[in-house]
Amino acid sequence: MISTKNLQKSFGKHMVLNGITQNIQKGEKVVVIGPSGSGKSTFLRCLNLLEQPTDGEIWFENNNITDPKCNINKLRQKMGMVFQQFNLFPHLTVQQNITLAPVKLKLMTQEEADQKAIKLLERIGLSDKAGAYPRQLSGGQQQRIAIIRALAMDPDVMLFDEPTSALDPEMVGEVLELMKELAEAGMTMVVVTHEMGFAKEVATRVLFIDEGQVKEENNPKDFFENPRNPRLKDFLSKVL
Amino acid sequence: MGEFLESYYNAFILDNRYLAYLDGLKITLLISFFAIILGSLIGIIVAIAKVTAQKSKGKNWFTIVCIKLVNTICNGYINIIRGTPVMVQLLIIYNLIFTSRNTNEIVVGAICFGINSGAYVAEIVRAGIESIDKGQNEAGRSLGLNNIQTMLYIILPQAIKNILPALGNEFIVLVKETSVAGVIAVTDLTKAAQYIGSRTYQPLPPLIITAVFYLIIVLGLTKFLGIFERRMRQGDKH
Repeated sequence: MISTKNLQKSFGKHMVLNGITQNIQKGEKVVVIGPSGSGKSTFLRCLNLLEQPTDGEIWFENNNITDPKCNINKLRQKMGMVFQQFNLFPHLTVQQNITLAPVKLKLMTQEEADQKAIKLLERIGLSDKAGAYPRQLSGGQQQRIAIIRALAMDPDVMLFDEPTSALDPEMVGEVLELMKELAEAGMTMVVVTHEMGFAKEVATRVLFIDEGQVKEENNPKDFFENPRNPRLKDFLSKVL
Repeated sequence: MGEFLESYYNAFILDNRYLAYLDGLKITLLISFFAIILGSLIGIIVAIAKVTAQKSKGKNWFTIVCIKLVNTICNGYINIIRGTPVMVQLLIIYNLIFTSRNTNEIVVGAICFGINSGAYVAEIVRAGIESIDKGQNEAGRSLGLNNIQTMLYIILPQAIKNILPALGNEFIVLVKETSVAGVIAVTDLTKAAQYIGSRTYQPLPPLIITAVFYLIIVLGLTKFLGIFERRMRQGDKH
């Protein structure tokens, strides 16, 4: 579904991604871990071209999205993204946050989008917050709304960029719970996170990125029980 | 005391002179209103052009030249307008550009003040756009909205809310600045007062009356902006 070929990204002279080649199949839940500054967020942000790669190719559903002729706006509709800082639109109500993109992109009428928004809000138990503004909500509620805002576009893949890192500890659970539900429903997911428990439980494959390269990848069981790369062993001994 | 009242009676009531103020007021309001609209339009467009030119990186020589050109034009416009007095701009536009016989001075005035205000509004709006967290732009783009849609529906509404006090300032200055429109033979509020003063040989009373008119306009504008500001602050409630 998504594949990268020798993906490279540098900021000036600083090489952040140093050739990443990956294939992400439909239905996979890929969890990316690594020390800070390793390039894992940059890797994720390259997948929907929020960062322009310096070299290499990215293919999404048989489209080369690194080709300048490719219509990235169209393809981004099929790639939902969830940010560390939620990035809800503070000047719009919760419901307007969810319906803005589908309506403005003429994928749905306002009525259809409103119905869909209410359904999604019911699913996460926040239908009473439809008319509220993001600043009136807790971090956990905001992040769950950010997730369903992305879901309202019916994406084929969901990208999560450290979705729980900005949350109070007691709110991490509710967001992870929603992500687990999504995973069980068969969504293709790429998740950058520090939540090792989530990786163990939900991932079908775990990547360890360090110094801009995938240093190790494996199924979660072997990844955490038999790490081979010395840098990964060191990393796991510190975080587990 | 009787003399004092008489001078104001002469300046305002005698010979239906209040009609002259009202005519002048109408012209001042017309020029201000269209100048504010034109200035806002120019300001927003120039600000967006500048911000877009700043953040886009040229991929080939054509886009690089385009970006450079847009940036140069915007900066040139802002520097020239901010660097010269509005009265001189008014005279230049009146004499040089609109040379045909039947120009409408009110239109010339509105266009000139609009172009003038646009330069200041552009810098205010640019500051507003740059004050918005870049995560907002990324969130919009990640949902598939293009650059313009993200700007219109997500960035600008938030930016305008932040800059409303500064914009209000600019509009107030603009309304008062139209008082120099008399130099292009427009009988605005100030010019009307001068005419009446020269008729009654008492220049002070009509000027005081005019000052009160300006004060009322500005207080009204302030009130209106206050209401608008409160309405836009809806999302800030906790």
